Amino acid sequence: MTAIDGHTADRAEEALPTGYLDTAHPLETRFGDPDDPDNPVGFAAFLRADERGELLPAGRSLLDTYQLGAEFVPAAHGGRLRQADELAQTLRPVFRRDAALGLGHGAIKLIASATVWSTASTDHQRWLAQVLLRGGQAAGAYTELASGHDLTRSTVRATRDGTQYRLTGSKEVINNVNRADSVTLLARTGDGSGSRDHSLLLLDMSTVRRDRLRFLPRFRTAGLRAVHLGGVEFLDCPVPASAVVGELGGALETVLRAFQVTKATLTAATVGCFDTQLRMVTRFALERRLYHRSVAELPHVRSVLANAYADLLISDCLSSTVCRALHVLPGQTAVYAPATKYLVPLLIQESVDQLATVLGARSFLREGPYGIFQKHLRDLPVASLAHSGATVCQATVIPQLPRLARRSWLSGQQPAPASLFRLGAPLPELDFRRLEIAAGAEDSLLAVLPDAAAELRADPELGPLSARLVTELAALKASCTALAPRNRTPLAEPIGFELAERYSILLAASACLGVWRHNQDHPNPFLRDTAWLALALRRLTARLGLPVPPGSATAEQRVFTELVTRERENRSFDLAGRLLA
Amino acid sequence: MTTTTISSTTEIRDWLRERVAFYLERPIEEIDSAARLVEYGLDSLYALTLCGDIEDEFDITVPPTLAWDFPSVNAIAEQLHDQISEQRLADR
Amino acid sequence: MRYGPYAAAARLDERLGDPQDDGRLFSYARCAALDEGEEFPLEICRELDFLGLPRAYVPVEYGGTLLGYDEALQLMRVVARRDLTVAIGHGKTFLGAVSVWTSGDAEQARRLGAEIAGGTIVSWGLTERDHGSDLLAGEVRAVPGPDGSGYRLSGEKWLINNATRGHQLCVLARTDTSGGPRGFSILLVDRRTLDPASHRPLPAVALHGIRGADISGVAFTDAAVPATALVGTEGGGLEIVLKSLQLTRTLCASLSLGAADQALGLAVDYANERHNFGRPLVDLPQTRRLLTESYADLLLAEAVTLVAGRAINALTGELSVSSAITKYFVPTLVDRMFPRLAKVLGSRALLVGDTYRHGRFQKVQRDHRIVGIFDGSTMVNLHSLVNQFPALVRGYRRGRVDLAGLQAAATLEEPLGAFDRTRLELVSRPGSSPVQALPLAVEELCELAEAGEVGTVVGTLATELRAATDRLIEQMAGHRPTALDVPAEVFALAESYAACFAAAAAIQLWLRNRKAFGSDELRHSGLQNSELRHSELWYSGLWLEAALTRALALVDPTLRTELSGEVFDRLAVPLFAQHASGRLLSLLPYPGEEESA
Repeated sequence: MTAIDGHTADRAEEALPTGYLDTAHPLETRFGDPDDPDNPVGFAAFLRADERGELLPAGRSLLDTYQLGAEFVPAAHGGRLRQADELAQTLRPVFRRDAALGLGHGAIKLIASATVWSTASTDHQRWLAQVLLRGGQAAGAYTELASGHDLTRSTVRATRDGTQYRLTGSKEVINNVNRADSVTLLARTGDGSGSRDHSLLLLDMSTVRRDRLRFLPRFRTAGLRAVHLGGVEFLDCPVPASAVVGELGGALETVLRAFQVTKATLTAATVGCFDTQLRMVTRFALERRLYHRSVAELPHVRSVLANAYADLLISDCLSSTVCRALHVLPGQTAVYAPATKYLVPLLIQESVDQLATVLGARSFLREGPYGIFQKHLRDLPVASLAHSGATVCQATVIPQLPRLARRSWLSGQQPAPASLFRLGAPLPELDFRRLEIAAGAEDSLLAVLPDAAAELRADPELGPLSARLVTELAALKASCTALAPRNRTPLAEPIGFELAERYSILLAASACLGVWRHNQDHPNPFLRDTAWLALALRRLTARLGLPVPPGSATAEQRVFTELVTRERENRSFDLAGRLLA
Repeated sequence: MTTTTISSTTEIRDWLRERVAFYLERPIEEIDSAARLVEYGLDSLYALTLCGDIEDEFDITVPPTLAWDFPSVNAIAEQLHDQISEQRLADR
Repeated sequence: MRYGPYAAAARLDERLGDPQDDGRLFSYARCAALDEGEEFPLEICRELDFLGLPRAYVPVEYGGTLLGYDEALQLMRVVARRDLTVAIGHGKTFLGAVSVWTSGDAEQARRLGAEIAGGTIVSWGLTERDHGSDLLAGEVRAVPGPDGSGYRLSGEKWLINNATRGHQLCVLARTDTSGGPRGFSILLVDRRTLDPASHRPLPAVALHGIRGADISGVAFTDAAVPATALVGTEGGGLEIVLKSLQLTRTLCASLSLGAADQALGLAVDYANERHNFGRPLVDLPQTRRLLTESYADLLLAEAVTLVAGRAINALTGELSVSSAITKYFVPTLVDRMFPRLAKVLGSRALLVGDTYRHGRFQKVQRDHRIVGIFDGSTMVNLHSLVNQFPALVRGYRRGRVDLAGLQAAATLEEPLGAFDRTRLELVSRPGSSPVQALPLAVEELCELAEAGEVGTVVGTLATELRAATDRLIEQMAGHRPTALDVPAEVFALAESYAACFAAAAAIQLWLRNRKAFGSDELRHSGLQNSELRHSELWYSGLWLEAALTRALALVDPTLRTELSGEVFDRLAVPLFAQHASGRLLSLLPYPGEEESA
């Protein structure tokens, strides 16, 4: 292990909060043992609800009793939302069991409300806070099927008519729209396809004229079968002019802010699904016997499991760090959030496909002790697509890269402060208004990579690995600086997308390095050890298509041992490693 | 060893024990010539590769299922000895 | 030139009617509804029976029409191109019967052939609940009957395709209590003649994909089976299964090709009809790239399948290698195609029901996951390759090539010789001719490049491939053979070797057919039809360049960043032209394209 004395100065921080690690999250406790077939909110019950295509009623009432709605309301408005990384930790117990419940009866409220929190309209905020605090439903009607995530092409129109607006057009594939008490609507208030032609309206559904409203039939999806995706058609429907939230014409700007929060938080929450899938396959490998021994004794299987675990840790490092960056580096998350939302679902999906080869036929069954594996496998792509898909995220990252490359990368940029990486440590309350709609000239998360690499130079394993990644950063800098203007738009050639991908991978490496070096006082020796970091950096190096410097064979073994230990001790696989129910 | 003379059953047996020990990554002393290969975990498919080694070593052709039909080192050694002897006679 | 097996496939396809027409039995709409309701596609399978498809599962010598396995492949491909549940549910009868074709006696085979032609469903009972791919751990046992004749069968087979619907079931059963490679036998059990009290079906299992399929099981309790049920010899079970799997694993590629055709077709459709940022999606360079890369994968997968399919007849002794590679490589390549194409389709990739194209994309993606699992999973196939490393290294170093066999496997015009089951081998002694012929083939390509008959890039790529293969073979040689713990990195070598095989097969296919499909005369003939369109693919080695670029990145992933993706952009024209004609996306012209072009 490498000494990191150089960084003790940075740790004039408070001690890491650790007392909670040996307890289960209160929501986890309420849900109880998911494997118990008789648990009304266990895997078996969620699988049956998925088959029926309905959110499990017992799961909904559990979340209502917990008053989950308050988690999405900023503390300033009487709710419990203070920190994005904490919110993700709260959602993980739900996502471990059922992403449909987590999204459809949970995070969808964040998607619906984050835009409102991102404006200065305190009246609207107060009203929406009340709706959520009393357990009401909120829907976010932003996208339309015909224009997808290209919000500038939205066609629902709000036309001014005296003291009213008249709404026309329809929004499709909207979660919970027919059950919502409040609908946050993105509507066209100008004629162009520019950035000032759309506004947000907050609709109190109890007052919207029913004869001017049609609810569209439910849309069904392969995953998240239980969520209610509906649609709504406005037929010259009058709403008061006061429904406009924030500035007229300001919707796209607001959305760009708000979605940084939802992208980071939702991505971090889905690590809970991955946890369950990895747990299922680990358990299968330990229990199943083939060719006179347990499957887990096959070196290839151990390797798949250890590498999947490294992927999970990478996913958590990146997504949790970006959640914290919303507080610590609000001027930079306009690039971090979409980079995370692009990379993490991809990492998880590819890792899960590898895990499926171990689980074999069991990965294809909707029943039996491993049935939840394929449910999560179906759910993840649908959950990942909620409000912005991979291509949109990449397209958001690309135009921001050339300036960052020129001004920040390997150009004396100060690395991000230690507080960004301190696991579970308190942060100033989340302030949606401080988020910038585009990253400026600073990239302090990525600056952790060269900084850490310099410090690790002498480490036989981490030294060459991080040095190789810095070389790659230099190459990326050159390519992004030289990126032709036409390649900075959505019409970019594939090279732009390739660079965005490489950037995301290096960002993930930086997050891993940051988490490792700034948590050396963590009670779990595994997190202080280099094994997981070495394996994670190797995974990322290979993902870049680079030759992986030879490393110690024990890293994989140590990661595998921790995986088995956590499964046996019934702890979560994420960085927190908290007890489970 | 390229055999110009016919290997004795014992020589073949010792060579086979060495190969089996090699594949199983165990000391040669632990390989009992009379035991069924299956019991060492050398069943099914892997036994097939042993035949490639045998063909290279003794310059003969054997069915890939040799170790299935003659499931111990002793049984294989005897079978091989017979086959090699017959072939040498025929070559003469 | 016309590719013979396409004629029969196109005839079948045409007789099944337009799948977009809801009034047809085999329509997309019906398949989607059956999937959602988890119903077996009974009426569609009956339609296939009426059209005589079962006879294609029976070798000619036993009364059927099966002569070359390349034709069987294409028939299954056009069925899979409509629906995988149907292809798997119907094609299963071939899997059920294959043990008899490879190892049964002639009388038994003729009887079974007649039954199948008449609509009898045969299934294959290999796996058990607790043992999966570990066949030698099987607990279903057959003991001699009380009067010494026949057998008494007991135990459970589980996760068996058509276990409940099947009339006959080829069961792998333990006939020697101590087990071992000679301890199992194959029994062809006619369930219609069994005492009903002695067997019962196990409930159908709820599946992630192919939801309508009958994947269930059967439990035997002292079921009396006559001695004539034995296939081959007693104790021959494992050998029969392993040899039979060499045929079925190769044929599985047809399911993947059909699935890839569906997915890519849907994505191209959508990219054409949909506008983004003011332009049709298909004009966005990144979208085009996602499509053309997938097309390159499809063509590479097709090249492997064409060669491996003909190899059943032409390089029979090498099937233990080529079938394991095909079964690993093709489904894996296609599984990885879906997420890429899903990016193009966005939310339409996930929708179920009538909102968009009957939810076909998510369905075929779910359905196809089974192809990499059944009939020998990815891990099983890679393991089988690892076990053959010594022969593969030896064969490459010695440059051992069955020239006549390779020529026959790769030359599509050449009529295939009859399949000779006695040439099936459990392990391939000579290694793998396509890979071992690589040095020769690369030389040939480089000469053509020098003569200007193929782009210089192709020569460069081939030379790089040769170097990468040399390096790989050295790494494989450095792997200490072991019966027990195969290190994880050795699996990666097996994956790379499979990609080498794919590239080598593609090169052979191009070299042996370039004149037939891409000659100068054809190019300048003024033809405005599919043959011309395909000649664009063949001429100058366009498709080969694309396929080699894809394969090389799989042989050695660190080469990926050095490879230019520009070649994929040049595939856009042939891809869109083929797609617009509504026919099969393929290296080869599919009958009937002129009419609709």
